[in-house]
Amino acid sequence: MATFKVLEQNNPRVDAWEKVTGRATYAGDVYLPGMLMCKTLGSSRSHARIVSIDTSRAQALPGVRAVITGVDFPEIRFGSGALKDRYIMARDKVYYIGEPVAAVAAEDEITAEEALALIDVQYEDLEPVVDPLTALRAGSPSVHPDLESYEGYGFTIEGGNICTLLDADRGDVEQAFQDADHVFEDTFRSQGINQGFLEPMACVANVEANGRLTVWASTQGPYQVRAQLASVLDMPLSNIKVIPMELGGGFGAKLRLAFEAFPSLLSMKTGSPVKLINNREEVFTQNGPRHPVTNYLKTGVNKDGTIVSREAYTIFDVGAYLGAGPNSGIGHGLGAYDIPNFRLRSYAAYTNKVYVGSYRASGVADMTFAVESHMDMIAHNLGMDPLDFRLKNAIKEGDTAVNGSRVPRNGLFECLAAVKERLGLPRELPEGHGVGIALCEWRSGTGPSTASISVNEDGTVSLLTGSVDISGSDTSLASIAAESLGIAMDQVIVARRDTDLAPFTGPSGGSRIVYSQGKAVELAAEDARNKLLALAADRLGVPQDALACADGSVYVQDNPPQSLTLGQLAAMSVTSRSGPIVGNASLSTLPYAPVFSAQAAEVQVDRDTGQVKLTRYVQCQDVGVAINPMAVEGQLEGGAVQGIGRALTEDMQFDPETGAVRNPSFASYLMPLALDLPELETLLVRVPSEDGPFGARAVAEPPGFGPPAAIANAIYDAVGVRIRELPLSGERVLAALRGEGNDVAYIGDELQELKRAEGLAV
Amino acid sequence: MLRFDFLEARNLRHAIALLQRHGNDSRVVAGSTDFLVRWRQGFWRPAAVVNLKGIASLGRISFSPRNGLRLGALATVQSVESNAHIRRRYQALATGATSFAGVQVRNLATIGGNVCNASPAGDTLPALLAFDAQCTIAGPQGTRTLPLTEFFLGPGRTALEQGEVLTQLTLPAPMPRTGSLYIKHSPRGAMDIATVGVASVVTLEEDGRTCRDARIALGAVGPTPFRATEAENLLRGRTLTPGLLGQAAQAAEAAAKPIDDVRGSAGYRRAMVEALTTRTLQHALQMASGRAVTFEEQRRLAVQTAF
Ligand SMILES: Cc1cc2nc3c(=O)[nH]c(=O)nc-3n(C[C@H](O)[C@H](O)[C@H](O)COP(=O)(O)OP(=O)(O)OC[C@H]3O[C@@H](n4cnc5c(N)ncnc54)[C@H](O)[C@@H]3O)c2cc1C
Repeated sequence: MATFKVLEQNNPRVDAWEKVTGRATYAGDVYLPGMLMCKTLGSSRSHARIVSIDTSRAQALPGVRAVITGVDFPEIRFGSGALKDRYIMARDKVYYIGEPVAAVAAEDEITAEEALALIDVQYEDLEPVVDPLTALRAGSPSVHPDLESYEGYGFTIEGGNICTLLDADRGDVEQAFQDADHVFEDTFRSQGINQGFLEPMACVANVEANGRLTVWASTQGPYQVRAQLASVLDMPLSNIKVIPMELGGGFGAKLRLAFEAFPSLLSMKTGSPVKLINNREEVFTQNGPRHPVTNYLKTGVNKDGTIVSREAYTIFDVGAYLGAGPNSGIGHGLGAYDIPNFRLRSYAAYTNKVYVGSYRASGVADMTFAVESHMDMIAHNLGMDPLDFRLKNAIKEGDTAVNGSRVPRNGLFECLAAVKERLGLPRELPEGHGVGIALCEWRSGTGPSTASISVNEDGTVSLLTGSVDISGSDTSLASIAAESLGIAMDQVIVARRDTDLAPFTGPSGGSRIVYSQGKAVELAAEDARNKLLALAADRLGVPQDALACADGSVYVQDNPPQSLTLGQLAAMSVTSRSGPIVGNASLSTLPYAPVFSAQAAEVQVDRDTGQVKLTRYVQCQDVGVAINPMAVEGQLEGGAVQGIGRALTEDMQFDPETGAVRNPSFASYLMPLALDLPELETLLVRVPSEDGPFGARAVAEPPGFGPPAAIANAIYDAVGVRIRELPLSGERVLAALRGEGNDVAYIGDELQELKRAEGLAV
Repeated sequence: MLRFDFLEARNLRHAIALLQRHGNDSRVVAGSTDFLVRWRQGFWRPAAVVNLKGIASLGRISFSPRNGLRLGALATVQSVESNAHIRRRYQALATGATSFAGVQVRNLATIGGNVCNASPAGDTLPALLAFDAQCTIAGPQGTRTLPLTEFFLGPGRTALEQGEVLTQLTLPAPMPRTGSLYIKHSPRGAMDIATVGVASVVTLEEDGRTCRDARIALGAVGPTPFRATEAENLLRGRTLTPGLLGQAAQAAEAAAKPIDDVRGSAGYRRAMVEALTTRTLQHALQMASGRAVTFEEQRRLAVQTAF
């Protein structure tokens, strides 16, 4: 491993003081003189035509300053992707319970709430469809009957509720199934999930004296919010400034425009600043969670355990609008394996439920549960050790990844070996105890990234990027700048940014900030360093390649005392021919860099109650280089905890008739607590990536993928029952133990219909 | 209306007077841990809120062998959990209290509030029922007492009349050779509402084998928490064998009338009644036989259903 001065050290976070002392400012902490409070009225119907909305009584309530409904916005459809399938506020129809139909700005929050109760909405009910499998069937009620006329729609299939199909094919799947020694088929289902961030959505909007709109937002994607806001308000993008505030958790839920448009329009109407803060119920019912996913897998295997063929059909329920859609869930039907023949299909089906958002590559987590459970079942069926079966089929350097890229060097095998060694696998455990593993794959995120570094006269540097800090990413970016420039961490100032000030960059999500944004910082630092070296060469009268940059100085390698500090150089640069020293970098995409993680769970199962207790959790991930090991471990542990919640207790439940969220509160949506968790054991493998900053790989997403399958596999090991549906609740385990088959229905009929629609043989 | 008047009661008489003055549009509060949630959700929107928390005399806990345990209605769940008399003699009540929410909520929540909120899943209620608690109720007409078994009328519904306040719960002193335990089944180890809760109290005869008295109370499996009397009757006067405990557990299961909700199906709840009744009886029996079980051990049994 290369030696580093700053990286690979547990440097404290650059924002530690503000966070620990409670002085970091979040959107909810913004108070402006004369500020009004905004509340929104949610639809009480799952699917209905809006006959009329009477806001006159609300308008008349003392303290109310403005009331808006859908028709106060320009009649413009927008979407989170290409498909423009929604209005920012319901106009003529509502598509789910909770969908905003009106918003009020009042002098205080209580008055705003009281005003909501005075708004009279008349609905004419339409038939809703709640279950995605029903939605796929011909003759099902249609959520968007005019779908084909929507801008960005590019897919036609009978039934009408399918808004997206993602597909990938290779080889001759049918032939391979026919030739295989064994064929295994299974269906799995994962549940509805909420991101569970602590800080609810919050924003303040204010029309400034010059007519521009300023929005203080809790967002991962300030430029995305700016663009979408401009589109729904039909105003030039340059008239909007988005100031991303500290983020109290997002996990993908805050990547896009949320409710910022309501206070914005209300501010335009009243001329006053307007604040909106969601309560937790609104977070659950209006703000893009993840819906249940059904996964059908079919695998052809030869006697020696070689996988020859895979078919994966995944049905994503996206709710009323495409939203974040399958959230990266295509291509992951293969798992981390080299399979020569495959047919992968991910369908997104509309239903009358709140539309989906992103959640830490949630679609991949859903698919990993299915694939890694299925792998375990096949291994047991063949009488092979589950770990050996994975090793035999794991994808290797030089293989072709599902996206067609060549698989570069990576640490997959090292990760599996590390977990095997830590647990001493294969391992016999006492009755009622079991161990299970899961292998997870992901890629380092990329996308537009920019950075600018200016060197100050006191030798510090100011780093400007457009990316929002998530889970300590600012600290990592500062470390990369410090390492490149040979200065200490505390010599890097990370600038507060907004969309006017900072260069455009992609959102903070999808495992891309340290990898891609970090690369931009590394390149910007290199640019600044080259300028420093050039200036020093000129002033010291030596060739540039005789110089080095370290410990805050540029010095002559053969004669270190001959040197200039960065501060001196910055001061000189002001009057130099080339001007002040600023390093810049821009990039759009980096090549494919996979990330692998091996995970293992040990559980104890209570045969009387079915309750599963997680007694040990081990994960090992190839991180390339640990920019900051403490931060990396924090990310891995946090991700594992989210995955453990998904595995055992978290379960967003929807009313089967109306699609209403039945448990919109942390009292009934159960995220794991410290008491529910064992000590998490986190191991790092370091096989540097080819293109990431200093060889780093992405870290954020994979830790959450493994727990559902690892725990399901451990339950099987402990008591011999296979649970195919999440969460792995006491109730499901007990039913399985009693042979009461709490199983996921086989989706044969639906599959045949989908295949027929595509013109495939059935 | 979202706005309400917040009225501090100086003493019990004052509280009753305030409640009478504001009539049906008023609500008394203690720790407000239920009140604030229900108010936010829009279920309770009183015009006047009468706060009892300032009446210090209502927060006392005392024990004497003659009078048993006296719990002032304002005693916090935390004070019940940590009271030495309760830990020693009323283990099921101490374990009910310790299984409750988390530390912060236990510091605010009162035992009177848990009783008057009358949730079928209230964690202190099965133990209070199993220890034959009597309620002391003060109102415009003076004071009356009522067995707790007659206090609960339905989910959130009690025998309290307009203007009445619960002031005390009285639990007779347990006989010698008594052991008890409450187990709460919930997917999470803390901050969770019971899917099922069972409290069992076992008293042995001097022979150390025969059951002198057994009381079993069930939570979250009916409109109110209730005593499983048929299961109790199977045990009294008999030698407590594992087989007999199993029969009692089945009788308890038969008495349960649970519903399906987000926390679990009726069928699963019934299965849990059987499992937890067996376990609470086993542990209560051992404690009655003189086996010392530390509070930490009891807590582990009570909260982590599985282990
Ligand atoms: C986060 C959280 C977690 C919780 N977890 C649990 C748990 O694990 N187990 C559990 O059982 N409960 C739980 N609860 C519910 C609640 O804390 C308890 O029911 C608590 O005992 C209520 O007591 P309180 O003093 O706060 O009651 P309050 O909220 O003040 O009052 C509750 C009700 O009782 C009435 N009331 C209160 N005192 C009197 C009195 N002396 N006379 C007449 N009426 C009265 C009030 O009018 C109101 O109707 C939880 C609540 C929260 C917010």
